[in-house]
Amino acid sequence: HILSHYNHKHKYISLEFNVKNQLKFTNRPDNTAFTQQRLPAWQPILSAGIVIPGFVLIGLAFIGVGVALFVTSRSIQVLERDYTGDESGTPCASCANSNVQNSFGFCFPQSQGPVFFYYGLSNYFQNYRRYGTSKDDNQLYGVLKYFTSPSDNCAPYAYNSNNQPIVPCGSIANSMFNDTFKLYQTVNGTRQEVSLDGKGIAWWTDYNIKYRNPTNNPLKDAFNGTVKPIYWSKPAYELDTSDPSNNGFVNQDFLVWMRRAALPDFRKLYRRISQDKYPDGLPAGNYSLEITYNYRVYRFSGKKKVVFSNVSWMGGKNEFLGIAYLVVGSMCVFMSIVMLIVYAKFKFPDEE
Amino acid sequence: MTWKSPVALVREALQGQRAREKDLRSLMSNLPYEGLEKGKQPNRYFPSNAIKTTKYSLLLFIPMNLYEQFHRLANIYFVGLAILNFIPVVNAFQPEVALIPICIILSLTALKDAWEDFRRYQSDKKLNNTPCFIYSRKEKQFVERRWKDVRVGDFVKVVCNETIPADLLLLYTSDPNGVCLIETANLDGETNLKQRTAVSGNPEFEPESFNGIVVCEKPNNNLNHFKCYMWVSNTQKVGAGIESLLLRGCTVRNTDHAVGFVVYAGHETKSMLNNSGPRYKRSKLERRLNIDVFFCFILLFAMCLIGALGHFIWLYALPGVPPYLVPPANGHLDSPNLSSFYMFFTMIILLQILIPISLYVSIELVKIGQIFLITNDIDLYDEETDSRIQCKALNITEDLGQIEYIFSDKTGTLTENKMVFRRCSIMGTDRTGSSSRCQKIDPYLEFFLALTICNTVVVSMTNNPLETLSSLVKNTGNILKCCKRKPKRNRTFTMDSDDQFQPSVKMEEPGTSGLQPCSLHAASLHDKHPLTSDNLRYEAESPDEAALVYATKAYGFTLLARTPDSVTVRLPSGEVLVFEVLDTLTFDSNRKRMSVLVRHPITKEYVLYTKGADYAIMELLGTPYAGIGNEKNIAAVTQRHLDCYAKEGLRTLCIAKKVVSEAVYKHWLVERQRALTAIDNREVLIMDTAVQLETNLTLLGATGIEDRLQENVPDTIMALRQAGIKVWVLTGDKPETAVNIGYACRLLEDEDLITCRAILDCTLEEVRRYNSDPRNVDTTLNISLVIDGRTLTMALSPDLRGDFVDLAKHCRSVLCCRVTPLQKSRVVKVIREKLKVMTLAVGDGANDVNMIQAADIGIGISGQEGMQAVMASDFAISRFKHLKKLLLVHGHWCYTRLANMIIYFFYKNVAYVNLLFWYQFFCGFSGSTMIDYWLLIFFNLFFTSLPPIMFGIMDRDISAEMLLGVPELYKTGQGEGDYRFTTFWVSILDAFYQSLVCFFIPYFVYQDSDIDMFTFGTPLNTTALFTILLHLSIEIKSWVIMLGSVLFYFIVTLAYSATCVTCNPPSNPYWVLQNQMADPMFYLICILSTVVALLPRYTFHVLRNSIALSPLIEAKHLDRLDPSMREEWMKEWRSYRGGGQVQRSTLSTPPSPTLENPVDIFSESLAVSDIMGDDFTLNVFGQ
Repeated sequence: HILSHYNHKHKYISLEFNVKNQLKFTNRPDNTAFTQQRLPAWQPILSAGIVIPGFVLIGLAFIGVGVALFVTSRSIQVLERDYTGDESGTPCASCANSNVQNSFGFCFPQSQGPVFFYYGLSNYFQNYRRYGTSKDDNQLYGVLKYFTSPSDNCAPYAYNSNNQPIVPCGSIANSMFNDTFKLYQTVNGTRQEVSLDGKGIAWWTDYNIKYRNPTNNPLKDAFNGTVKPIYWSKPAYELDTSDPSNNGFVNQDFLVWMRRAALPDFRKLYRRISQDKYPDGLPAGNYSLEITYNYRVYRFSGKKKVVFSNVSWMGGKNEFLGIAYLVVGSMCVFMSIVMLIVYAKFKFPDEE
Repeated sequence: MTWKSPVALVREALQGQRAREKDLRSLMSNLPYEGLEKGKQPNRYFPSNAIKTTKYSLLLFIPMNLYEQFHRLANIYFVGLAILNFIPVVNAFQPEVALIPICIILSLTALKDAWEDFRRYQSDKKLNNTPCFIYSRKEKQFVERRWKDVRVGDFVKVVCNETIPADLLLLYTSDPNGVCLIETANLDGETNLKQRTAVSGNPEFEPESFNGIVVCEKPNNNLNHFKCYMWVSNTQKVGAGIESLLLRGCTVRNTDHAVGFVVYAGHETKSMLNNSGPRYKRSKLERRLNIDVFFCFILLFAMCLIGALGHFIWLYALPGVPPYLVPPANGHLDSPNLSSFYMFFTMIILLQILIPISLYVSIELVKIGQIFLITNDIDLYDEETDSRIQCKALNITEDLGQIEYIFSDKTGTLTENKMVFRRCSIMGTDRTGSSSRCQKIDPYLEFFLALTICNTVVVSMTNNPLETLSSLVKNTGNILKCCKRKPKRNRTFTMDSDDQFQPSVKMEEPGTSGLQPCSLHAASLHDKHPLTSDNLRYEAESPDEAALVYATKAYGFTLLARTPDSVTVRLPSGEVLVFEVLDTLTFDSNRKRMSVLVRHPITKEYVLYTKGADYAIMELLGTPYAGIGNEKNIAAVTQRHLDCYAKEGLRTLCIAKKVVSEAVYKHWLVERQRALTAIDNREVLIMDTAVQLETNLTLLGATGIEDRLQENVPDTIMALRQAGIKVWVLTGDKPETAVNIGYACRLLEDEDLITCRAILDCTLEEVRRYNSDPRNVDTTLNISLVIDGRTLTMALSPDLRGDFVDLAKHCRSVLCCRVTPLQKSRVVKVIREKLKVMTLAVGDGANDVNMIQAADIGIGISGQEGMQAVMASDFAISRFKHLKKLLLVHGHWCYTRLANMIIYFFYKNVAYVNLLFWYQFFCGFSGSTMIDYWLLIFFNLFFTSLPPIMFGIMDRDISAEMLLGVPELYKTGQGEGDYRFTTFWVSILDAFYQSLVCFFIPYFVYQDSDIDMFTFGTPLNTTALFTILLHLSIEIKSWVIMLGSVLFYFIVTLAYSATCVTCNPPSNPYWVLQNQMADPMFYLICILSTVVALLPRYTFHVLRNSIALSPLIEAKHLDRLDPSMREEWMKEWRSYRGGGQVQRSTLSTPPSPTLENPVDIFSESLAVSDIMGDDFTLNVFGQ
């Protein structure tokens, strides 16, 4: 018995020995570029020798871009008129008090290309956080459910004192800019109204996707049981009496207002000078602007203005970017010269 | 089940608790109670053998894991912020959105934990269901059950090559001597066989007839210690110790079967109690990191305060109530005071990512990646043992790059720990035993007999022919070496011996001339070759013992078998002697010796053979040696031989014997028996009895065993020293041996060392004077300190510690000899605490465990001496040379990677958050964001987190070849390293600058235009992304990931702003990026902002690269050369450096040759007891 056991063990061990031989280096790590950290890698060393040409190139490119920007910006004409009306000597000195239609005149130089008509507000914090959240996207998307029960975000502009839902709810809609303008050209003493184009001043996506009216026809039915925002004089479905399709939430002025400005001093597009009548932009001449003054800004020391500007590929007039490009470009060139000196001073003796 | 009252249940629970907590446990056999309900079982209070190492259960995973995760301060902080967001007056984001980051972080961690736990669960299940044999009374035999069915009090049968299911008290084995061999590899990695003895040597064992009570101690985690006794009958008790305990997890070898009584089961077994899981150490970098997190908190607080104050002033300055100032839902505006108070919290929420939420998770990921790469390094793989480097501590990889002091063990760490018997010195003693009628006992016969007997080597028959052959070949080689070397040795001896020395050489002549043993051996070799059955393999606990036994075998004294009671030895004459072993006094580190008490089969004398460290034996020599005459001379001469061996770097052992009279033995036996059965103080008592017997020894001789240096040790030590690391060697060996090894491994330099003896103060004074001498400013001082254990004890006393550390600081290397394990750890602790440096301890044996645990990083070398050091270590390597790449390459990489990554994380978050902060100045400090919330979150979590993580895992600032070739590069990480106060603040300032640029360039461009909020935010976000990624590109090499990140950003943002029409009210970036990307201005702004933001940093780098070349940058330049040129350069540089080191100056102490009189050292350390206070000596080797 003992002998057989011995034999058995013997066999077992010799078997083990074979297996062991095969698996001798089981723990050996894989010899791959990844595990041995030999993956190819490339990194430029930032020595003066490589960087100087780079700096010259960047500098020259920047100067080029800067010149282009600067020239373009110079070619843009901008006309700004403050009409807050709380100071004498300003174009609309008495506007704030008289409350109704006011007008003032100005000269406009010859413009090239289309002219855009903006209104501007200063010291107006459309980016205030609580203000920004005070709207109901679903309601504005035309979902009827939210007409009767607006989102809590809209509070305290969700329901009026009689607990009727406000549509469109929230502070942004409530505070919508409601001055209106009419532009006249004075030709030989007679005032000729300049036709303004209010189509397509809002973002295409806002008009077509983000904001929608309910499908009710007429639109008024959708607003049954709701009230207009407190500050509004007309309900949302009567915003534009001349064009029925420009009412409700897809009203262009409403859309422009609802897109909150990033900074406290901003302008918003009001109209374009109609391209059909003035294909080459507004001709030089005397103009007068008739303002229906509804929007109160003096109680928070805000400012209002109108801006006429033509645009280029780089948008409105902005000299900063061109100058910045020029400055940075020249700095790069200057730096490359400094570096060349440094390089010459420190590198060459070293190489000898 | 019968119903039990709650009171009974509580009482039951309390009883169980009490039974488990008792110091002594009485256990009974379960057999008489088999089949009874649980309440009747005698051992019911003790846990069963089923184990559960999982942390969580399926149902409670989520609450438990959350509880676990909330122990982290950072997580609480982020959850607190998320909750803050649910308070309407302070919220900055929508509450649900604010929860996303913390949820992602928590769920990632939870996933990781769940996976780990599942693996534990699987292994538990496998283990619990392993089959085993339990005795059943019903079946009257052992029946197959599962491990989880084993209970305390059961009888378990284990068969050969089977793993032991629980801690068993060995009662019976198939071996007639009651011996069972086990392999403890699973526990401590030691592959040698350990011998266990059955308690009752009764060969006829029947579980059912077992009616004893086993009394054992409370479970503890000491693997080498167990106390127990057993009442065999009412009056007789039998003691048992660890030598009768079969440990769970061990494997039975060479024994057909064995039966044991379960004393501990499941979680109470020693192996489970030892299973303490991975170690958690905090790295230096992490400690630094926490300080910086604290600074970030201060910064956050300041910014929030500015926000709150700004909001207050803004509100206060408003003349009226503008339409955009929306009152809260109740319609009444808060006072400016209150709303600015709320605003403070809103700001905290808004700016929360200033404290990088993803940093901690990223660090963990990076460390996992780093460890993966380290363990996969093929250069750190040892073919011989088929083992890779093991990383046991998962979170201190970067500490490897900051080491300043290395404390190394000598044996097995610097050396192979493969012992080869080289020399012996045998004293001729005229001893005529009273009963030796026919046989004259040769002095050297006696000596070799002592060597053969006095050890714990176990003989096992090998069945592997190849292995035997190789061992045979090895033996032959050794013997041949012995023979060859011997004449040479004699020659050297006569050459350097003076007159006084001469007689002793003659005396040792017969033993060492080699002629006789060689011829003797030749005879035996011829005898042995045909005898293949004589394939003996020795399993020894220490390699020294194995070397000695193999050597004696070569000389013809073959150890044939060893049982607890007997030793069988075959003499060269072919005669086989069986010695009865009466007792074995095992080795311990206090006595530093071991003894075996045998009864000579022929003379019937009681003989005690003792083997141990030379000083441990010399102290105990009998009075004849203390007297005058020949005997004293022998001791002195042997001592001189020992010193010579030591000088050659051999490990020395002394062999002595003592004949014990029967009366003394009988008397001693009683005490011994008492000590063995004692429960309290057993070790002390056993040691006392051992000491009692080991007196008045007769010196037989001494041996010198060579321990070869591992390959590349000198090279490694040189490289480490060039890397600015101070290497200390702490060894238990003699000073001479240590110094010799020190020279061999270039720890000590040959030419420029001198010996001087001075008291500590003087030496220190001298060193200081030298350093303050203006002439010596540019010369490096090469002092090495050699200090022995006793002196070290004094040097480490509280009043001298400062001076000692001061002196050691000036020394290039320090050698401590004859130190105990405790001293090793004390040295490490003192240096670590006093000098505030990063320390690394490396060792291989159990005596290094203390040191390994005391150091910042402990490295274990898995060598010949078991795995205890490896178990206690943070990293385990197989060769000392691996230390070079581990530190110089991986340490450097891990450290620079992680340091740069952490700084980058701080920078990134500050730069990004500041964009939001600057915007507050233009939105009335109202907490608005111009970037969509989702994009804000994505930015941190996805767009910018991958590149730094990849950077942290994979980037190589300098190639491995370069780092190995120029070890000086390692110095950049030492001390403060890359990650310091200034680096942190410079990058924070840079972040401020970059955020200003990224914000104000778009601001000036879009000023007074019809830009809307999110359109304004898009170029900001994009610029920030470019800046943050390109910022990293100065450091990173893998540009692919950066490009990937940019692409990912655009794809995700485009997709998000194309799909989300009303899904994220009130913020809504629908079609914003698309619009911006159609506008050339967007690109112009992005390009300009990015260039301006990065210009200073790039310029700085360019200038630094051209003007002030740091070694790292120089190395980077060199890395770009082709390999051959680089090689050339390195060689040149080396020689240049070597030349620089030539200038030397000397200390004012008169130089004297190294170790001019070794005897002095010895006598001094003997006489050290009467040296008081400051008045002790140091051996200072100075240049």
